[in-house]
Amino acid sequence: MVLDRELRRLVIKSFHINKVEFNSQNSIKNGYLTVDKSVLNQFVEVEELIEKIEIDIIEPGQHNKFVNSIMDIIPISTKVLGEIGEGVTHTLTGVYVMLTGIDSEGKQMAEFGSSEGILEEQMVFGKAGTPSKEDYIIHIDVILKGGLPFERKLPLTAHKVCDKFIQNLRNILKEIDGRESSESYEYYDKIKPGKKKVVIVKQIAGQGAMSDNNILSEEPSGLVGGKSIIDMENIPIILSPNEYRDGALRAMT
Amino acid sequence: MGIGPSTKETTLHHFRDPLLDVVSQDGDVDLLGIILVGTPQDNKSKYFVGKRLAQWTEAMRADGVIISVDGWGNSHVDYANTIEEIGKRGIPVVGLSFIGKQAKFVVSNKYMDTIVDFNKSEKGIETEVLGENNVDKLDSKKALAFLKLKMKKRGSK
Repeated sequence: MVLDRELRRLVIKSFHINKVEFNSQNSIKNGYLTVDKSVLNQFVEVEELIEKIEIDIIEPGQHNKFVNSIMDIIPISTKVLGEIGEGVTHTLTGVYVMLTGIDSEGKQMAEFGSSEGILEEQMVFGKAGTPSKEDYIIHIDVILKGGLPFERKLPLTAHKVCDKFIQNLRNILKEIDGRESSESYEYYDKIKPGKKKVVIVKQIAGQGAMSDNNILSEEPSGLVGGKSIIDMENIPIILSPNEYRDGALRAMT
Repeated sequence: MGIGPSTKETTLHHFRDPLLDVVSQDGDVDLLGIILVGTPQDNKSKYFVGKRLAQWTEAMRADGVIISVDGWGNSHVDYANTIEEIGKRGIPVVGLSFIGKQAKFVVSNKYMDTIVDFNKSEKGIETEVLGENNVDKLDSKKALAFLKLKMKKRGSK
């Protein structure tokens, strides 16, 4: 029998968060996350397309709240060693970021149906792509300038400021001692000689204003440094299993 | 267009994708990689990217392909074409898609005989509820089981 050949190793260390609160600075300590919301006002000043950004910490079970159309749910993860797909990644569990958006004239940031409404009714909790009912949700609601043609730059700007906000949290997550992690997972990209060779294809959206995807950013599930599938003219791109697992794909649909 | 709130895969979904977990952890399978392909606007470009993708799978000497899509409607034009291009090359292919009652394929071909429908809503519709009509572990296991059967059948020919 021929042995598996290991190509690359990826370690994902998760840090569980038990409580999230606003404070004058961002910090993570012993499962306690504090969030500085003042940075969002600075983003509003520099981004012409944004009218206002609201931020809220939704506590576990407190889902009887009206939200605008949900644009994305994003994990807070960061590279500590190496690039996407290898090395070490830190990620938070127990807390996720939810991005919602609307423009000042009431147009939801959605194109093919929209999900605004009472959060409890508009999201199935506990799926692969959604927080569980026990998780904290950092809710970023972006209100864009109204009366503009509905173009890609509008939702893109909302994603951009949300990513900037998350980057501040990533920067402190990078500094945490890996030995404090709640769990640690090790993944190998490997060749398994003699086994059936299988490819996974994911068809992702790449057109119009609301349907873009960003690939291989500098940070897991991030935006900066990545390439848009629209800009790449939707040509097939191959990722290693670990690249994909390490947050190589940022949905902007 | 084609990605509704209930079928949309969030960034978190991609980060902990059940399809990747199921396929990468299966001892009988050597997972070569994940190919991402977009959905261009015009038909000519749709055929272009679909054919390029199929050519990749042939060049990789893939024994089988699982193709998943989180959109429907017009997105199914891209989807059907890519499946056909892979199938024409003699590579077993299994699909995962939301179909339900609302999203019957607008176009189809003979290679689309094993598509796992991941509709979860009672009425089989786009409910506009995030996460409702998404691929889960069971859907992924079904797709891989179908693919194993197809690959076995092809091997015995």
